[in-house]
Amino acid sequence: MEYFIHLAILFSIYATLGVSLNLIVGYTGLLSVTHAAFYGLGAYATAILLTTTGIGFFLSVIIGILVAMVASFLIGIVLSKFDNDYYALASLGFNTIIFALFLNWQSLTRGPLGIPGISRPELFGFDFSSNLSFLILSLIILVLIFYISKFIVNSSFGRVLKAIRGDEKAIQVFGYNTAYYKLTIFVISAGMAAVAGSLFASYITFVDPSSFTVFESIFILAIIILGGLSNMRGVILGALFLILLPEALRFVGFPPDIAAQMRQVIYGLILVLLMLYRPQGLLGEYKL
Amino acid sequence: MDIIPQLVLNSIIAGSIYALIALGFNLIYGATKFFNLSHGVMAAIGGYSVFYFAKTLGWNLPLSIVIGVLLAGLIGYALDKLVYLPLRKRKASNMVLLVASLGLFTAIQAIIAILFTSQFQTLSQNVSGQRIYEIFGGVITQTQLIILISAIAITIGLILLLKYTMFGKAIKAVSDDEEVAKIVGINTNRIIGYVFFIGSAIAGLGGVLVGFDTGIEPTMGFALLLKGVIAAIIGGVGSIYGALIGAFLLGFVENFGIWHISGEWKDAIAFILLILFLIFRPRGIINK
Repeated sequence: MEYFIHLAILFSIYATLGVSLNLIVGYTGLLSVTHAAFYGLGAYATAILLTTTGIGFFLSVIIGILVAMVASFLIGIVLSKFDNDYYALASLGFNTIIFALFLNWQSLTRGPLGIPGISRPELFGFDFSSNLSFLILSLIILVLIFYISKFIVNSSFGRVLKAIRGDEKAIQVFGYNTAYYKLTIFVISAGMAAVAGSLFASYITFVDPSSFTVFESIFILAIIILGGLSNMRGVILGALFLILLPEALRFVGFPPDIAAQMRQVIYGLILVLLMLYRPQGLLGEYKL
Repeated sequence: MDIIPQLVLNSIIAGSIYALIALGFNLIYGATKFFNLSHGVMAAIGGYSVFYFAKTLGWNLPLSIVIGVLLAGLIGYALDKLVYLPLRKRKASNMVLLVASLGLFTAIQAIIAILFTSQFQTLSQNVSGQRIYEIFGGVITQTQLIILISAIAITIGLILLLKYTMFGKAIKAVSDDEEVAKIVGINTNRIIGYVFFIGSAIAGLGGVLVGFDTGIEPTMGFALLLKGVIAAIIGGVGSIYGALIGAFLLGFVENFGIWHISGEWKDAIAFILLILFLIFRPRGIINK
């Protein structure tokens, strides 16, 4: 039972990441490969604040969101100069730069040693230290972010995003400042990723830079491409599939380390097959 | 002790390695116009082939190296025929091709890790027995000298090939305008297939040489790929001279950049250089 709760918590963290990234990649059509950087900023904000100061988890989440938003604002300004494959490459570069910060700013992050002993959340005397209560908390956050995202994409703001994805030049002709829209959604999405990061740090009670590499960004990207670009339910499906996949592989008898690699093989091949036969993903509405 | 000669030598060696990746990358980019991220894993294929044939099976070394290089080339060729060619025929966007190449990269890297474990291994038989040369107070090993010579030889070879052979002219024609090349009777898909073979084989050689210089691990391809891509872009994407100039510029900036700080910053410095170029000179030094 504990094991299923563990998987469910991981699922809800990755689903949150997927839903937020889908706002950028699926709805706005920008291939961002730097989501793990903002995820990491949230995680480190919580980790550092909870281990060095007396402030609570929820305040640390808010600070984490702010840090990620400021960082994504600066990064977004630079990224707004690029599109398509150059956007993907430049965003990947920012992931590497922030990863280097986690690794090298040793006085703050303890570098490769990581930060242990992060406590579980507490709210009005209610303690989330059991895994079941933590699962409920992370599911609540997933649902919250899911509906905020749904609200955004169905609003008039969201329609402009989809129009940018369709034809940026055309929507500019109508007088929309597209750079502003792209930057805003980028910052919102980064803030959401930071929340997932705070949850991750508090759940595992330990963070180190290795959780926030480019490969993590690619993994989150795989979740949304598999489930379906521009489809919120698809992302949930994608997260479920990719979180359960290594467990299924272990179940049929692969040792854990081989199972982890097998997952990479399978999701790599899935990406290739999807690009060949179904570029919009399983439930998606938008083709890259 | 004066450190500058050694820094210069290190920069030249790093530049040579990056050039070996960037040359093939630019050749393929020139013909296909997409960022082929699976290019990096060709280096790992080359390195691990030599490891398998020479160390595990005990075949003689030069033969194993030739097989490793050819194998990398053949796998690159096969990927084009199985994945990229069908996608190009369907007029898939650059982003679809990029995601597909990312998928192939992830899958192949994980397959290598399953076959050979993720441990770091070295190709050279006796590390201490290597001949060492002193130049202007700096030290360079025999392997590193071979790396430098290979990079220069391959660049000259490619330039001669492109300039003086019918085949090279066909490659240039395809790079300039694929449609027109088709009209004048060039079998463009065949030419692109060969380009994949040559480019991947060069990357394979790069992987073998890195394996002798430092060592091999399944993830080596990613780091090499990123440096190769950065070199290609800052030099001038699609150009042979550009790849060479970009590679050496990157080598120098990286190695002098960490003069006073930790070597872990290298990747971040490389990406900062890339982003500066993308902002201020997006077409690279050689402006095509």
